[in-house]
Amino acid sequence: MVYHELTVWSRGIIMDKEARDVSSCVAAAARRLGYHAENVSDYVDDPDRTNCLVRRYARFGDEPIVDRFVYENPHPDWVVLIEETIIKAVNFFRGTRDGQGVLVVNSARDPAYLLRFLPPEMLAKLGKLVVVDAVGLADTRGGTSPWMFVRDLSELAFDRMSTEGAAERLAIGLGVAAPVIGALIAATGVLPIDEVAGVVADRDAMMRGAAEHRVIDYQGATPAAAATD
Amino acid sequence: MSVRGTRVPPHLRLPIAGVTPPPTEEAGQRLFPTGNFRFYRPVYRDKMPPCNNACPTGEQIQKYLDYVKHDRYLDGYLTIMEDNPMPSVTGRVCYHPCEAACNRGEHDEPIGIRNVERFLGDYGLALPDNPITATLPALNGTTVAIVGSGPAGLACAYHLRRRGYASVIFEALSRPGGMLRGGIPHWHLPEGILDAEIAKILDLGGIEIRCGVRVGTDISWTDLTSHHAVFLAVGQDVGRRLPAEGAQARGVVGALEFLREAGFNRPVKVGRQVLVVGGGNTASDAARSAIRLGGGTAAIVSLESADELLIVGEDLEQARDEGVEFKVNTALVRVITADGSPAGPVTGAVLCRATPAKDANGAVTPQFEEGTEYEVACDTVLVAIGQVQQLDWLPPHLVERGLIKSTGYGIVGGTPQTPGTIFAGGDVVRGPAMVVDALGDGKRAAHNIDAVLRGQALAPGAPVEVMPYAGLNAAYFGHAARVEAPMAPPAERRRGQQIEVTLAYSREQAVAESDRCMSCGVCNGCDNCYIVCPDVSVMRDARTNGHYSIRTNYCKGCLVCVQECPTGCLEKVPELDFDEPASVTRMETAFAPYDGAHAEQSAFTRQLIEDQIAEYDAERRTLAHKGNVAGSGQTGAR
Repeated sequence: MVYHELTVWSRGIIMDKEARDVSSCVAAAARRLGYHAENVSDYVDDPDRTNCLVRRYARFGDEPIVDRFVYENPHPDWVVLIEETIIKAVNFFRGTRDGQGVLVVNSARDPAYLLRFLPPEMLAKLGKLVVVDAVGLADTRGGTSPWMFVRDLSELAFDRMSTEGAAERLAIGLGVAAPVIGALIAATGVLPIDEVAGVVADRDAMMRGAAEHRVIDYQGATPAAAATD
Repeated sequence: MSVRGTRVPPHLRLPIAGVTPPPTEEAGQRLFPTGNFRFYRPVYRDKMPPCNNACPTGEQIQKYLDYVKHDRYLDGYLTIMEDNPMPSVTGRVCYHPCEAACNRGEHDEPIGIRNVERFLGDYGLALPDNPITATLPALNGTTVAIVGSGPAGLACAYHLRRRGYASVIFEALSRPGGMLRGGIPHWHLPEGILDAEIAKILDLGGIEIRCGVRVGTDISWTDLTSHHAVFLAVGQDVGRRLPAEGAQARGVVGALEFLREAGFNRPVKVGRQVLVVGGGNTASDAARSAIRLGGGTAAIVSLESADELLIVGEDLEQARDEGVEFKVNTALVRVITADGSPAGPVTGAVLCRATPAKDANGAVTPQFEEGTEYEVACDTVLVAIGQVQQLDWLPPHLVERGLIKSTGYGIVGGTPQTPGTIFAGGDVVRGPAMVVDALGDGKRAAHNIDAVLRGQALAPGAPVEVMPYAGLNAAYFGHAARVEAPMAPPAERRRGQQIEVTLAYSREQAVAESDRCMSCGVCNGCDNCYIVCPDVSVMRDARTNGHYSIRTNYCKGCLVCVQECPTGCLEKVPELDFDEPASVTRMETAFAPYDGAHAEQSAFTRQLIEDQIAEYDAERRTLAHKGNVAGSGQTGAR
């Protein structure tokens, strides 16, 4: 039996699309592969605030998903942090089974440094830490920044304009999202990467993320074991 | 829409306004810990203002300007005295590298720092008691020998006294002060001010000045090295000789010697037509003094062009106002005497066009332009072409090109050894420099002597980050013209040596000028962050500089404070650089009024669905039951 729950954590408005793209692509690829899949936007948090924590959920399995009105993933085993600071902000392993959590962080920092932020109860749930420098690997497409708003992270922090009047890039799987998807798919090893590439707009950046990421195998578990519920 | 009658499940019943503790209270932040919104943290980190960085004594200029701004003159005075023992002197004579570095110069005009310093220095001198005395530690029984009572020697003695050391200063001349007395004319630095500043230092106790003691003649090198430590600050008070024919003539005088005689109030004879040879500040001082003392004219003969003159801008302007003539790109070829004999009285000089060139040793020599010679009449020639010092009393290996050779930290003769470590500073180490350079050398020497005597290792200071103009939020600073210090009118100045040229700021002027300080990189308690924070996350325990803090459990990282900080002391640091766990509360869910609300809500929703399904099923069962009854009837009807 295959069943995985993916929760993507990001920040309201300024990094919202990156998170949405990751969950959308995983759910869409899974559906193409014949799985039962679901992709849910955030209904419980308040996503209309700059910087606030937001979540996107995807889940897929080889049996029909019956709990479809429960938007939150009750037992996420794949967790993606679009922005590194979230590692100290929230218990993103709430409900994750011991030793089964695959954590993908978009960060240029040393994975060992990031591990210092996890308390023992969260470390107990961590199976594997995957660190991908998505900002470095993503294509800026002629601009200065791979983020949804064409500015760097430091300017995003100064964001004052909300989404009003902002033009999103409509293609799904561009920018920062692409290498993150690549690292997630490669590190989990459940979905075939070529199949996922079919639903990601920036295939090259996704492949760069699949090739260039650092992994700490925290529990010594294999990806397959960590992924099997 | 009315919510009357709406059933609110218990876990969603939140404290309401008036009952909810606000986030300004600790309990409120536990309830709404929004610190995890943040990925950059605003951090107060003061930088080094450029003025402070440029000052050789390291005066905390921003700090004392801020005190003056708030009418706290005593605090301002005490702040200067931490670094510079004679603000009344430097407030008059300093060539103010601080003002050259001032960021306000890029905005409109640099702050008149020197004038404010003078205001505070004179304020300090006017106090009935010396406020420094009360802050001094008891003497620790160690005495340091200092050679030379100029600015370097006096500053060293002062800073040693602040650390508990006694000192004995050997001065070759009859009165203390070194170049301050013998090199700076009274119209620039009144004698009374210098005497008062020296008296104030001697008042502290433990500092003895022995005048009329020349090292090499009255005491030997060996006598000196028997002290715990020695600071050599003998300066450079010997004028370089004129390398031209007629240099022995009566009326050819070294400018330094001329200024020294005048400074010691000895009778000096100066003619009515004075030529001053040299293009530096000594030449300017000598020419202006000659006008005052001789009542005639003075012309400066310099190799340098008008743009290359080494005279400080305001002095140059004042000299021109007073009628000093400038013969630039000109050299003196020979001095003409009345009877043609080498030692006869001066009647004129032969000048010619020339440019400065360097000889094989790197010294400046004239490059004459042949055929441009002409004669001028004069009765006095003052020579201001450089200064040296007699150092033949020192072991020769310690002298290099007329200067004392010192290693890093101003130590002479190799590695530190105690007792008997020799330090040196001032002009005798660096060549002709500013008073404030000497004061800085004295301060550093005191610091290093203290370290060596305590057996501590000498270490370089921590690197500093100097605040550039670009780092300020210039939109917050209006434009205001510099308050110029009042000046005595030029005609009045020419009348005597005792008439001070630059006059003091009034209290109002000092405050107005201090008010122009932009406090580069240093928190000045403007309250802007406190006011603009949309989330009440900036806290202030007292309305004074630097007393702000960020509530890290509540600050959402919007960085409005960083954007709106006028001085640039607030900066954004990636939140993940801080790895102390207590600074951010990890929340259970994304935006939870309290722990686990989402989970409970989720369970509630699930229960609600199940309840509805159960209700639906129950209804179906009831319907089926009724239907069965009705159905049987139907069946029966069929």
